[in-house]
Amino acid sequence: MAILEDQLTTKGAAEQISTFESGNEMAAMAAAQINYHIMGYFPITPSTEVAQYLDQMKARGEHDIKLIPADGEHGSAGICYGAAATGARVINATSANGFLYMIEQLPVQSGTRFPMVLNLVTRAVSGPLDIRGDHSDLYYGLNTGWVILTARTPQAVYDMNIMALKVAEHSKVRLPVIVAYDGFWTSHQKRRVEYFKDRRVVQEFVGEPQIEGYNFIRDLKKPVTIGAHMLGDDIINNHFQQSEAIYNAKEVFEEVAAEYAKLSGREYNVLDLYKMEDAEVALFLLNSAAESAKDVVDQLRAKGIKAGVISPNMIRPFPAKEIREALKNVKALLVGERADSYGAQGANLTHEVKSALQEDYHNKTIVLSRVFGLGGKDFYETDAKAFFDMAIDAMEKGYAEKPFDYFGHVPGDPEKALKPVIEPQYGDVYKSGLIEVKMDEATNKLKVKIPPLRALTGKPKRIASGHGACPGCGIFAGLELFFKGIEGDIVTLFQTGCAYVTTTGYPNTSHKQTMMHNLFQNGAATLSGTVEAFMELKRRGEIQVSDDATFVMVTGDGGMDIGMGSAIGTALRGHKLIMLEYDNEGYMNTGSQMSYSTPIGHMTSTSGVGKAQRGKAFHHKDTAQIMAATNIPYVFTGSEAFPQDLVKKGAKAQWYAQNVGTVYGKILITCPLNWKSDDRYGTKIVEAAVNSCFFPLYEIEQGVTTITYNPEDKNKRIPLTEWLKYMGKTKHLLKEENKQLLEEFEQEVEKRWQRLKAKHENPLL
Amino acid sequence: MSILPKKNELGFFEIRLESIGGLGANLAGKMLAEAGVLSLGLKGSNFSSYGSEKKGSPVKSFIRFCDPDVEIRDHSPIEQPHIVGVFHEALYRTVDVVSGLNADGIVLVNTTRDFDEVRKDLRLEYGTLAIVDALGIAVEEKTKVNTAMLGALYRICDFLDPESMRDVIRKTFTKKYPHLVEPNIRTFDRGYHEVQFKTYSVPEGAVGKAFSRPKPLLGYETQELGGVITAQANSILKDLSGSRQGFMPEFKQEKCINCAACDNVCPDFCFVWEEGEDKKGRKQMFLKGIDYQYCKGCLKCVEACPTDALSDLREILGYADEHRVKQNFPYVAGGSY
Repeated sequence: MAILEDQLTTKGAAEQISTFESGNEMAAMAAAQINYHIMGYFPITPSTEVAQYLDQMKARGEHDIKLIPADGEHGSAGICYGAAATGARVINATSANGFLYMIEQLPVQSGTRFPMVLNLVTRAVSGPLDIRGDHSDLYYGLNTGWVILTARTPQAVYDMNIMALKVAEHSKVRLPVIVAYDGFWTSHQKRRVEYFKDRRVVQEFVGEPQIEGYNFIRDLKKPVTIGAHMLGDDIINNHFQQSEAIYNAKEVFEEVAAEYAKLSGREYNVLDLYKMEDAEVALFLLNSAAESAKDVVDQLRAKGIKAGVISPNMIRPFPAKEIREALKNVKALLVGERADSYGAQGANLTHEVKSALQEDYHNKTIVLSRVFGLGGKDFYETDAKAFFDMAIDAMEKGYAEKPFDYFGHVPGDPEKALKPVIEPQYGDVYKSGLIEVKMDEATNKLKVKIPPLRALTGKPKRIASGHGACPGCGIFAGLELFFKGIEGDIVTLFQTGCAYVTTTGYPNTSHKQTMMHNLFQNGAATLSGTVEAFMELKRRGEIQVSDDATFVMVTGDGGMDIGMGSAIGTALRGHKLIMLEYDNEGYMNTGSQMSYSTPIGHMTSTSGVGKAQRGKAFHHKDTAQIMAATNIPYVFTGSEAFPQDLVKKGAKAQWYAQNVGTVYGKILITCPLNWKSDDRYGTKIVEAAVNSCFFPLYEIEQGVTTITYNPEDKNKRIPLTEWLKYMGKTKHLLKEENKQLLEEFEQEVEKRWQRLKAKHENPLL
Repeated sequence: MSILPKKNELGFFEIRLESIGGLGANLAGKMLAEAGVLSLGLKGSNFSSYGSEKKGSPVKSFIRFCDPDVEIRDHSPIEQPHIVGVFHEALYRTVDVVSGLNADGIVLVNTTRDFDEVRKDLRLEYGTLAIVDALGIAVEEKTKVNTAMLGALYRICDFLDPESMRDVIRKTFTKKYPHLVEPNIRTFDRGYHEVQFKTYSVPEGAVGKAFSRPKPLLGYETQELGGVITAQANSILKDLSGSRQGFMPEFKQEKCINCAACDNVCPDFCFVWEEGEDKKGRKQMFLKGIDYQYCKGCLKCVEACPTDALSDLREILGYADEHRVKQNFPYVAGGSY
């Protein structure tokens, strides 16, 4: 490394170009220039764009990173860990509960000492769900044993990403590193930023991966055992090594940053100190809020108040010594934190700052702690001013009147408390009496009679108008047709996804009946708990309810990726509930990333189309068949284009969920925004999907498959292209150059259709 | 010597674009900011109001410019802009688009109406009003509203060089869609030339439009524990008509066969039914009309209708209010809706 350093010194500052980009774009830019080997990822707002930008660059052939879309963050962390174990260079990006979902893996990786870089685009942790920025996710990372660098600006995101890898791989460290930056404020705001014109400058700076002297899954001539289990006598030594290594990271960062400053002209100390030399009052703030506060420091200084701001560039290891020095003469400090450590009289960094000061017997700094700016609540100049006023007040009084508090919370006006708008909707309101379901003992199949759909318009919808879905969204027509088939009450659980987000923007709800949300890796399990408790309460006579409440878990196709395990577990346990999937072939709520249900060749924001890539690389998941393999009593597919068929399936689903066990159904629905189709053709598009046999309508009743609508029998079968032509996301598949890809898709559709027909014809299949 | 016409205390010249998702205001904001930063060497930032990115819901795009020696540290939303660009007039119903506008600020509105009518709706006392029929231009040129709005914004921000935007348009389309280059340049130029101005004189000591930070409806004493909502279906109080982008379904009852095909596909539950008797005296459901308060103008119902009872209608101001058939929700007694 020393040789490389000398070369760089003689070279002087490398050539850079200006661009106008956001933090996420700069994280992706740094990753592309480093040309990591592997990125295992799962999309979550606001970090998602990192993978999207890398996918776009990949489609243009601008880097060779293998981008692996995982089935969830836990999976993504596994992919990254496994890849890092080979000595390959690995990157990932995540946020909020995605970070929490992978957190179980993080100590595994730091404890077994495999470096990588994770961009944590900080966001509020649920619940209640909030997609915007704070630091509640980051604080969960404090004890994972990962080095944590923080980046206040899009420029810092680029610079820190380059330095992070070098710190991670340094022989004195050998630990994974998190680069944390503020969701939306830094991740999405565009600024002028500089980057190295030639990626080789970056690659030379980070150097070749260090292989010699480390043990990887790499050279099979040198077999190794990774991850043997230990007892306390051993693990204490392992952790001591880890502890030493993370403290080393501070000095290593200083070295790396000094070297980087020569190359870039941009300096990063472990602490960013703004006018702290003679400051008497100061704020301690993490990331973007610190920038806003600097403007206020200038204003206060103009009035003769000696104000300053401290913002760390690194919080693991915690730069205690530097903080002690910076606060030597500060009379009052306010630590503002975008997270709480509930019940601890101050969030984590408050206590770390206080504990740093405790070691200086002469220090007399009064420390105030404020929790502020949660869940994306903006931090204005006036807020920074208010913080300084509190610090000044403490300085003048010689003590803090209120050492710990929240800031920005309001009591609310009792006059404005929410009041009911409509009468509760339940019971008889939802019993049309027009739907008849009977078990035919001879065939062991249900017989369903439904009236003309006109008659069912008298039955109120379960979901109310006024939801925020896009014009032409297919979700609600699909859900309501299904619900029409159900008589009596429903209790729903909506997993995270478009249907949930657009119907429950606090303090509004579009649900008439009882609805609960849980994150989409766990909705099925959650509702199984609700059903069982409901039944148990009823059995013990603690609640009186009619017999016909139907429990429905509503999910998107994304929820059936990350929540597959939970769904299968629920199906295998056989709880009396329905899992209803609305499949729009992608993670539309987070900006149209590919899901496993996205068909091959289809364009999404993580399966782009360009010279080096042609949309999604593998075939669509056959979720109905996967669920059928759990041997649940009823599985079906449906579409709004065949409304009677869907209403009947709703009725059957209710019967099976009430009398036998778990039901699963999938409804294909149009997403005009991300399918890039005309709003008005939503129904026609799914009709074409059915008629092209891409999405056959069928049911599996007690293991026996019945195709409920066969386009071939009706002489309605159309080629796949007749469906694909409606959508911007598939336009490229109709071009001559993609003929082979289209054929591959057609063959797969045909194979699945023939197999389904065979099942239809043979009850034993 | 600064090229920026005006600056606030922090040294920023600020622009706020008011739109609904799907009209390209974010992209316009980005292009505007990029042009100032990359072509003119200004410093700048650009960002949007982030929520769930759904088409048809209100969005804001913010642009800050400053001289190269100024540090941009502020990253909070723009509250007191020098320029406001309104992409969608129907927003007035739900959003105070000119909130905090400087006294001598400029409002650009995409409209077909005349100055005084727009001024009245905006409750603009003084300052400059700029109007352009961006939708009309886009429809004629088969392009997008945002390109016409960009043309008009370039005219307003006269420190920007329109030629640089023409270059960007050429670069964007030449390779993949060469046939779109000319219409887009024409759209941009027409926005630039067709925008009209009228200044309402600013009296001595005039102050800008007041602004207020949105306050939550509920607080820690009034939220139910855990964020539970018990006011089920209160979203029916919302007005979503601002999501429509110029078109809506027109209902002709005499041609309706009450088949419910429209009701089956409507994402927003706009169709209003009532029980009645058919010719034989049997009880039947009849379609009464459309509740336009919730209609987002997707026109799926028009496609689904097997007769001519539903058809496309280019929205005329006032039509929806006049023809709205209100949903008969079971409102609680004593409410005021």
